[in-house]
Amino acid sequence: MNERLETKFLGFKLASPLVLPAGVMGMSFSGLKISADLGAGMVTSKSLTLQPRTGHKGPVIAEFEGGILNSMGLCNPGIKDGLAEIDEFKEGSDTPVIVSVFATSSRDFIALTEEVNSSSADLLELNLSCPNVYDEFGIPLSASKDQVYEIVSSVKDISQKPVIAKLSPNVLNPAEIALAAEAGGADALCLINTVGPGMLIDTLMVKPILFNKFGGLSGPCLKPVALKLVYQAYSVVNIPIIGMGGISTGNDVVEMLMAGADIVGIGTAVYSRGIEVFSKINAELLQFMDENGYKSVITLPKLEKLDV
Amino acid sequence: MKNRSTLRIAEIRKENFDINTYRFNFDLKAKPGQFIMLSDLRGGEKPFSISDCTEDHFCITVKRVGEFTKRLFSCSPGDLLSIRGPYGSSFFISAGKVLLVGGGYGTPPLYFLAKHLLKNGAEVHVVNGARKAEELVFCEKFQKLGINYENTSECGRLKNSGTSIDLVEQAFRNNSYDFIYAAGPEMMMKNLQDKLGKLPYEFLLERYMKCGVGLCGNCTVDPLGIRLCVEGPVLSKALVEQLTEFGNYHREASGKRIYFMKTDKGKK
Ligand SMILES: Cc1cc2nc3c(=O)[nH]c(=O)nc-3n(C[C@H](O)[C@H](O)[C@H](O)COP(=O)(O)OP(=O)(O)OC[C@H]3O[C@@H](n4cnc5c(N)ncnc54)[C@H](O)[C@@H]3O)c2cc1C
Ligand SMILES: Cc1cc2nc3c(=O)[nH]c(=O)nc-3n(C[C@H](O)[C@H](O)[C@H](O)COP(=O)(O)O)c2cc1C
Ligand code: FES
Repeated sequence: MNERLETKFLGFKLASPLVLPAGVMGMSFSGLKISADLGAGMVTSKSLTLQPRTGHKGPVIAEFEGGILNSMGLCNPGIKDGLAEIDEFKEGSDTPVIVSVFATSSRDFIALTEEVNSSSADLLELNLSCPNVYDEFGIPLSASKDQVYEIVSSVKDISQKPVIAKLSPNVLNPAEIALAAEAGGADALCLINTVGPGMLIDTLMVKPILFNKFGGLSGPCLKPVALKLVYQAYSVVNIPIIGMGGISTGNDVVEMLMAGADIVGIGTAVYSRGIEVFSKINAELLQFMDENGYKSVITLPKLEKLDV
Repeated sequence: MKNRSTLRIAEIRKENFDINTYRFNFDLKAKPGQFIMLSDLRGGEKPFSISDCTEDHFCITVKRVGEFTKRLFSCSPGDLLSIRGPYGSSFFISAGKVLLVGGGYGTPPLYFLAKHLLKNGAEVHVVNGARKAEELVFCEKFQKLGINYENTSECGRLKNSGTSIDLVEQAFRNNSYDFIYAAGPEMMMKNLQDKLGKLPYEFLLERYMKCGVGLCGNCTVDPLGIRLCVEGPVLSKALVEQLTEFGNYHREASGKRIYFMKTDKGKK
């Protein structure tokens, strides 16, 4: 890969600022590997839970003009089998890997953290923001700054890996939540998770298309919201940010970096542009730098912070 | 963006006691080997291969195995179903002498393929296998194509008995083929693979599918990481040969690995 794309994140050297986010291609070691081989600088596992989950019944995906709705329902093989996939990935790759975990209490997050401590994962991401398990678990933890603080700080107490807090866009006080995660000791933030949730209707069958009725939005329609929320968080915290939400092109990545992200997640674009999306966007980034006289990704400018 | 459509079932044809063909009058523009995601929006959306497709209709052929397919068996013509697709890769349309090897509900998509091969001037031979004679499907349809067609069942009653691999070995003794195609139980294809030597081939593989559009990663195959819903379900010899999980294990709905030998013996 081109050294002009290299960057650093929490001490890890990344060959590209592009990250495979949680829930996309991350069920198996080979799904992570192909993403890394095709140009992702870092990869993330599917959010793992203590026990395996088969997820919601289908349809779990509905395509629409602005992107997709998904209600996967946190299907995953459970932390033990999930980490075995990570170990197998690390046997064949130097690409840093984030393990995403999901729970609904500090106690379970701690149990997951202990498992991750003894794995070959490089970083730990706390999914505090899944919008698709409302019936089971209620509103995401990241709706409450007190809960975010409590969970992040209790995980930080025992984690041997850097801790990333993945935040929801669907809150009234995103800046306060970001600050709570930082105060709890988060080493970095990841935002945004899917927006909404939303709904689509089959007009002939007179039914919601998703069997779960509601699902999180992702894809191009998210970009303006994601840019705004990353910019707001960037303006108030002093920890690095993984920015994502509707990023599909090299120019989108530049926007996200300018909004304050250090590295950028590419999720739904894997569907719209193929798994080669990482190499395509890397090439587009190089082209942008050539055309605009930038030497490397790390020299791209950021917006001036919001006055807060 | 691929289309989602809600369609009325135009016709339901009983193929055997637990396999039905469903026809929809819709121009799906599918190629042989491709599949659709099908749902009644009552819980479950499942992949099914296309068993025939023309400009005015397409068909899928479904085996009753569990909750969703049982509900499909209680549907009637006129009922609405939701479809997405067509998705996935399609078979290479070869010329020359070709052999199609089908097992169980893997046979119907090969019928759609056979029609395209014939149009391309290929000489098509078919081996159709099932555990019991009464489970064989699409026999008449293949015979009507006027091709070299053989069927077999493992337990008696037919002219041929034994596995489809036995029939393939017989066919190899009398013919030299340019291309081999197979669809059906994975262990059948695994056994077939061992007989194929240098012959070029394509297999239609199955893995648990959820999104069908290449996002969730549930259907990736090791160690390549290619997605059977996008880069598959039809894979070439060059790819199949690299798959360490082929004939070894697959991943269930949670992503947990399930080993064929231990738990899936005799599946399908
Ligand atoms: C590319 C592809 C093409 C297929 N083509 C056909 C076909 O033409 N005709 C046909 O009868 N069947 C086909 N299948 C299998 C079909 O999807 C399953 O039989 C069906 O999903 C079973 O659902 P169920 O609720 O009735 O049974 P369940 O009780 O849910 O499952 C029974 C078995 O079906 C398989 N299965 C269940 N859900 C899925 C899923 N989402 N994806 C893949 N496999 C699943 C599993 O092996 C499971 O053990 C195909 C599968 C794939 C991947
Ligand atoms: C199919 C699918 C599954 C997802 N699963 C998870 C998950 O398990 N954990 C998580 O933190 N985020 C999950 N997400 C959210 C993504 O990581 C990402 O935050 C979001 O999709 C926005 O980025 P995008 O527009 O580039 O997809 C999922 C998204 C999709 C589309
Ligand atoms: S079914 Fe989701 S990637 Fe293939």
